[in-house]
Amino acid sequence: MKTITLARSALLVAMALALSYMERFLPLQLIVPLPGVKLGLANLVTMMALYFLSARQGFVILLLRCVLGSVFYGGLSGLAMSLTGGILAYAVMAAAKKSGSFSVYGVSILGAAAHNLGQVLAAGMMMGSVYTLFYLPFLLLTGLLTGVITGSAAAFAFRALRGTKLDALTHTA
Amino acid sequence: MKRDVLKFRKSDLLAAALVLLAALLTCALLPRLMQTGEFASVYQDGRLIRRVPLTVDQTFSVTGDYTNTVTVKDGKIAVTVSDCPTNDCVHQGWRSSGGAIICLPNRVEIRLPSDGTVDISVP
Repeated sequence: MKTITLARSALLVAMALALSYMERFLPLQLIVPLPGVKLGLANLVTMMALYFLSARQGFVILLLRCVLGSVFYGGLSGLAMSLTGGILAYAVMAAAKKSGSFSVYGVSILGAAAHNLGQVLAAGMMMGSVYTLFYLPFLLLTGLLTGVITGSAAAFAFRALRGTKLDALTHTA
Repeated sequence: MKRDVLKFRKSDLLAAALVLLAALLTCALLPRLMQTGEFASVYQDGRLIRRVPLTVDQTFSVTGDYTNTVTVKDGKIAVTVSDCPTNDCVHQGWRSSGGAIICLPNRVEIRLPSDGTVDISVP
């Protein structure tokens, strides 16, 4: 692994952890009182990794941030949820990006929906119940909204990186 | 063809519509696929012939020697029409839990979900 890749990966993991920690202070649950509703800003980092590094490296970063996140604040049940949601979202986003037919908005929206699906499935498996599926429609709706927000954040961040060294790492798909 | 990945596209709207559709579909289909809550069990001649979710409003008939029309509404169940001689079943009215609605002439028993009290009746 090139040193620069290692440095960038470490930076992205740190950024993801900081974002998901910050996100805990946003009282989103007050607006939508459902378990598991969050902005998913850390997904922004996953998208950065996907676009600026590689699909493989992005996956490693995702695993690292899930594991470290659970060490710092999520706990073990949180790990199961964020891993299932995260991996499913990652697979969908990588595929959506590779297809070349979506912009960062579409990739983010599809990723959010996949994350919600993964979360609900993980919760169902943990509780040994299919009734967690009843959360799915509500989570999908909020996921649509947060997906657009995260997508806009990604577009904003990527635009800011234009003309920098990172820009050389593809802005087209 | 290279296109700007930072610009919103029509296909993004399609993705959003897809998610919205999935949300609406799951919202509409899930309650039907997984009937939650309490069930009433309809027995005829001692055999379970139907499990009725009390959460879904519906009307159905149980036919034997006579015909009982059973209606579920607002979480309650009742025999609303019956051509049996005494109509005892209809007179038991709307019930939601505890015991059973019984139509003896038609040998129909609608067992209701437990209301939490101990059932001391002999089976």
